[in-house]
Amino acid sequence: MDEKTVVDYTKYRLKKEDELKESLGGINRMTLLWCKKCFTEFKEETEQECQQAIKIIRGLNLSISHCEGIDFLCNNHHTIKVLQALSSEEPVGVISCGIGIQFVASFFDGKRKVLALADSVPQSGNATSIAGYHGIALGAEKCAACGQCYLEKTGGICPVVACAKSLLNGPCGGASKDGKCEVNKELPCAWIEIYKRLNGQKRGIDSRIDIRDYNVFPVDEEKKHIKINQERRREGFYGGLYPLEQKEATEGLSIRVFPAPERVSIFLSQHTGIPAKLLVKTGDKVKKGQKIGESGGFVSATVHSSVSGKVIAIEEKVHPVSQTLQTAVVIENDGRDTPDSSIEPLISRDGLPREKVIDILKEKGIVGLGGAMFPSSVKLSPPKPVDILIVNGCECEPYLNADNRLMIEHPEELLKGIEIVRRLLEIKDIIFAIEDNKKEAVESITSAVKNYPDIKVATPKTKYPQGAERMLIKRVSGREVPEAGLPFDVGVVVFNVATLYAIYKAVYEGLPLIERVITVAGEDAVSPGNYLVRIGTHFSDILASCSGIKSSIPEGYELRMGGPMMGIVQKDVNSAVIKGTTGLLLMKKYPVEVSEENICIRCGRCVDVCPMELIPYYYAYYGQKKQWSDMARYKVKSCIECGCCQYICSSKIDIVGLVKKGKRYADNKM
Amino acid sequence: MLITRCKDRELIDILKKKRCLVLKCFGCREVYFPEEEIDHILKEAGVSASNKGRFDYLCREEFTERYLKYLERVLKEVDSVVVFSCGVGVQVVSKMLPEIPVIPGCDTYYINGFQGITAQDVDCQQCGECWLNITGGICPITSCSKGLLNGPCGGAKNGKCEVNPEMDCGWVLIYKRLKALGETEMLKKSAVNIRDYRIIIEGRKDKDESGRKT
Repeated sequence: MDEKTVVDYTKYRLKKEDELKESLGGINRMTLLWCKKCFTEFKEETEQECQQAIKIIRGLNLSISHCEGIDFLCNNHHTIKVLQALSSEEPVGVISCGIGIQFVASFFDGKRKVLALADSVPQSGNATSIAGYHGIALGAEKCAACGQCYLEKTGGICPVVACAKSLLNGPCGGASKDGKCEVNKELPCAWIEIYKRLNGQKRGIDSRIDIRDYNVFPVDEEKKHIKINQERRREGFYGGLYPLEQKEATEGLSIRVFPAPERVSIFLSQHTGIPAKLLVKTGDKVKKGQKIGESGGFVSATVHSSVSGKVIAIEEKVHPVSQTLQTAVVIENDGRDTPDSSIEPLISRDGLPREKVIDILKEKGIVGLGGAMFPSSVKLSPPKPVDILIVNGCECEPYLNADNRLMIEHPEELLKGIEIVRRLLEIKDIIFAIEDNKKEAVESITSAVKNYPDIKVATPKTKYPQGAERMLIKRVSGREVPEAGLPFDVGVVVFNVATLYAIYKAVYEGLPLIERVITVAGEDAVSPGNYLVRIGTHFSDILASCSGIKSSIPEGYELRMGGPMMGIVQKDVNSAVIKGTTGLLLMKKYPVEVSEENICIRCGRCVDVCPMELIPYYYAYYGQKKQWSDMARYKVKSCIECGCCQYICSSKIDIVGLVKKGKRYADNKM
Repeated sequence: MLITRCKDRELIDILKKKRCLVLKCFGCREVYFPEEEIDHILKEAGVSASNKGRFDYLCREEFTERYLKYLERVLKEVDSVVVFSCGVGVQVVSKMLPEIPVIPGCDTYYINGFQGITAQDVDCQQCGECWLNITGGICPITSCSKGLLNGPCGGAKNGKCEVNPEMDCGWVLIYKRLKALGETEMLKKSAVNIRDYRIIIEGRKDKDESGRKT
């Protein structure tokens, strides 16, 4: 197609001046709310209607005490906050489509006068009843949602929408000789078009078309669907998604030990904060578990060798998270696994003072293994008292099962890990949260906690991104972490199950964080599974063993570290497993390339799914124009990069990529 | 917003008899899309993986065009295309493949709401001449089952509609709202006009006035 069809499907237009004057009679002061529109190409923040209305209102000597533009006025969740903040009793003028106006009117429910200052824009077309609904994209095609699709019989041309009389049984006979409709001469007769199309396919009307059933979707059924939709949207927390879980391939597979590779590459930066300081040099002999990087500051962590052998290089390699070159220690495995002397079980761990335990976790390089890699020793020294520990066993990313398997296979060890954290923070209430799709894990943990009356097992319904701290806290404890705040601000600390397992290993066995469980999966994985791998194992080794691929990522595929939603696309198979690697997925690429030119059409879907209640389309818009400072105005720093907006984006804009750039700008600026 | 439901089981026969390419649009699956049901049908009909495509936003023509190009080889070998999407998606595919019969796998329905993926409690039928000023912010077209603009039909019992006793009578709600606002006089003062259906045919009545295209 040479020409792109972009139809303006704006839903409202300002009422005519005389109509406005009539309805505004007898009012002295008013509040003005206007919707920033939907389904129109997003070019600039348009205030056209609002300015026009203000001019008319001022001309009537009316004063406007408050004027506010709202993104998607019909988004009840966001708009209700604006409405609740309106304190005066004066009438409210609303510029929006009928849905927005009715919503505002029902909110005030007779307590305030609500004025409709706009008319809806009818769908132009040639049908005498409703002329059909457009799709999500701004194409010319429309569907009348009749509930009994005739398109098979009519060659893909809809008689309900395209015929002015919505005739289902052939042309009315009124078309002109050149095939134009008698109702609207600019439009072709739909039935002639249908005839031509069917002729081209060498078929005629192959069966009679039934009479249209106007009661095919009764009101009650519609209401039922609306209820289901609304309940799903509001379940637990605002926004979020229900992507296909795709966990079947690996959820039943026990954790297997992945053979120690011949070489490992251990990055010095495997945590949030300052990279570790290098302790070894090329040629050094190291033992398994020997410290090779010292913590670089308060928010930092130590790094250990995961094999015994010789340091053969200290080189720059592509880091799996930043995708930039960072220092890694390359160690050749001697295959002996000679343990370092520091790996030894503690004999009297029960009586250990608090500081000592935190020292152990610091020394053993324990960080959060859910992906964020925040040093656990810092998390365990909160500046405010904490009364709830939430154990995060959600693993809401599709495909991944590493945490799931830990809960199934090692419940006792996890409970010991929980005990360590509980003692450190003197916590009474513990909530073990497991999403309800992990039945086996729920059973395993429920039976393990029988003797622990203060550990409650919560099984919230699966919803992405439930494993994100804020959403999980809200869902299972009802507390809301304030904007720019942290969980301890509401007295909560969250630990991922894999982290608790690592804490257990560190305290009970003296084992530093040199191995972790990851899920290897993907559409064409030869042997998907859950593997206990050494930190530093190259992706190429894992791919060779699990997907039969050695040198590079095959064409048409992409390698992701993490899940399909938040996982990071890898450009180099010679990068290696770090502490935050939750999985490795070899996925088929989406067949359609994402173009940078795709524009936002304000379908509003990103706003409906953003669990942080942000307005992501501004990031798409300003990001594409490289106006990073404008992105900061829309709270880009609050974004948790869960990827919901990008998943749902009807223009396939790389919103998360733009957000990351916007955050970098905000960081440098501040 | 548009939602879809899978057509009945006669589809299985079609899929078994013909060589079909199956396209699934899941752009609106967060709103409602019978994905499991469709997979079940495809499995029963034994559609091979190479003849299946999963794709979102078929309604976006540039995406669909590129996607069909990607499937070019498969398209040469099939004699029809089955599309599981709303009516818009089916029409877009038909337009691009005028020579191949395109079979809709779903029926399309409408639920309240335009923007986003959350359904609304209230609806707007885009009549083009908003009555809400006169009716206390309750739309007579969508909340009265007969869409009456000049008051109740008289058939309501205990405030419930005679067409569907589960539904409140829209005009009773309007009266109550206006009473709470102290504006019942409004109904006498400004009689509701007859609805102008021409607006739908002509699109924007005053498109030249506002200067924007329809």
